[in-house]
Amino acid sequence: MTDQAMTMQAMIDEWYPVGLLSQLQPGGRKTALMGAPIEVACDAEGHARVTAADGRVLPVRARYGHVWSSLGAPQKELFPIPEADQPGRRFVDVGVVRVRCSPLRTVENFLDIAHFPFVHTDILGAEPHTEVQNYKVEIREDVDEVWATQVKFYQPQASKSASGGITTEYMYRVPAPTCSVLYKTCPPRPDEWDVITLFVQPLSEDLCDVWPWMALFDDETSMTDLIHFQQTIFLQDRSILENQIPRRLPLDPGMEIPTRADLTSIAYRRWLKRHDYTYGAQLVAQ
Amino acid sequence: MLSDTTGSWTPVALSQDLPAGTVIPAYIVSGSIALWRSDSGRIAASADRCPHRGMRLSHGFVRGEAISCIYHGWSYAQSGHCLRIPAHPGLKPPETIRVATYVVEEADGVIWVAAGAPGSMPPGLDGFVPFRSLTVHAARAAIEDAAGATAGPEGLVDITSGAGNIRLLLSAQDGDRTLVHVLLVGEADAATRISASRTVESLRRTAEDRQEKAAAQ
Repeated sequence: MTDQAMTMQAMIDEWYPVGLLSQLQPGGRKTALMGAPIEVACDAEGHARVTAADGRVLPVRARYGHVWSSLGAPQKELFPIPEADQPGRRFVDVGVVRVRCSPLRTVENFLDIAHFPFVHTDILGAEPHTEVQNYKVEIREDVDEVWATQVKFYQPQASKSASGGITTEYMYRVPAPTCSVLYKTCPPRPDEWDVITLFVQPLSEDLCDVWPWMALFDDETSMTDLIHFQQTIFLQDRSILENQIPRRLPLDPGMEIPTRADLTSIAYRRWLKRHDYTYGAQLVAQ
Repeated sequence: MLSDTTGSWTPVALSQDLPAGTVIPAYIVSGSIALWRSDSGRIAASADRCPHRGMRLSHGFVRGEAISCIYHGWSYAQSGHCLRIPAHPGLKPPETIRVATYVVEEADGVIWVAAGAPGSMPPGLDGFVPFRSLTVHAARAAIEDAAGATAGPEGLVDITSGAGNIRLLLSAQDGDRTLVHVLLVGEADAATRISASRTVESLRRTAEDRQEKAAAQ
């Protein structure tokens, strides 16, 4: 087995986003998954169809606004997001942002709140409100997911529906190696959570397409403004992600220095390592 | 440039291109560095990588006498020691958190960085004054070829043109790129500067053309 095949082994049977359901076309769209060229199209009935370069038909799911596929044979069903079926929510296809970095680095950045005041200045954070309070992190064995709860942060403009600064509460979930689901204080509905997801398509080990998707309670803001808000945030993140060294995520200790604020990232890296989810990881310090 | 040995000086930038309170990326033999000048005017050079999450420090910001990483705001002193971790304002960062630093000298309008412990001071400029810098997508040999002259051991190339004597100070970058500092004699007037600029732009095009042809062979 080649090194490349070894690296892919554990992650090859996972589901990955490969395009928007709303933009399926009979003519198909060429893209890639873990280094392999694939084509995403719709058949005569309008169903998504994903094929490999050799004509092999790949497994498909149509969920959460996106087409999902896999180069392998998924052993597990695509992870659930119960809020996707909840009445009253608006579902937002944010589109795609291509980032020249490891898909794992993209997820890790999504799990991080300490960068808000410096990268998303005056939107998701602002000095001097930089302190990260203690929060809880666990790997939930029953569902095999990483969870961070009781995450709180002061935000000047937490979302389009927020007026002025509020302390926002967050919960993070990592249900798949390149996907994360964020539950966030919903300003108009204090008893509910807004859902913001990060679905990452690994094009290669150091190149990815990021497909954010949202399920919100917000009847006021226009779709354009919701999309622009999220795109602004992800473009700010991209300026970081494309300038981290190394481009792949170091899983061995010693290469980077975590602190207490990085507990989610520590758990994510540990979970990746435990499952040999190393496509996009750097295992030996260089 | 000086020979690529530990302790040699690299002319990384012109003084005029690094105002107080700013940071820029620069390149020496050991790799890319963050070159910054504090609010009070002191220059420092460090590895271009924050040890927390690997972000390039040259994308950071300078406040007072410290450089901060743009990702999480970790700040570092000129000595390289971490001064502050904003996520934990009450924490005094342990001594072990630091970035590698390099020796810097500023003389006659040029900023020099040493990869190791230099045994001497950077070379003098013999009355030449820095005018501007430009990056050429060509290696030293192609530039020498285009200039019709050979660089001395310190990376100095003298050319003559309608603008009078021009001295080039070459500094190798990553890939086949070269940073070229253009030096003129004394305080040149506007016409001389424009003429020198055109001469060097023309030299750049010739060198890049030769580099491309060499690469195609």
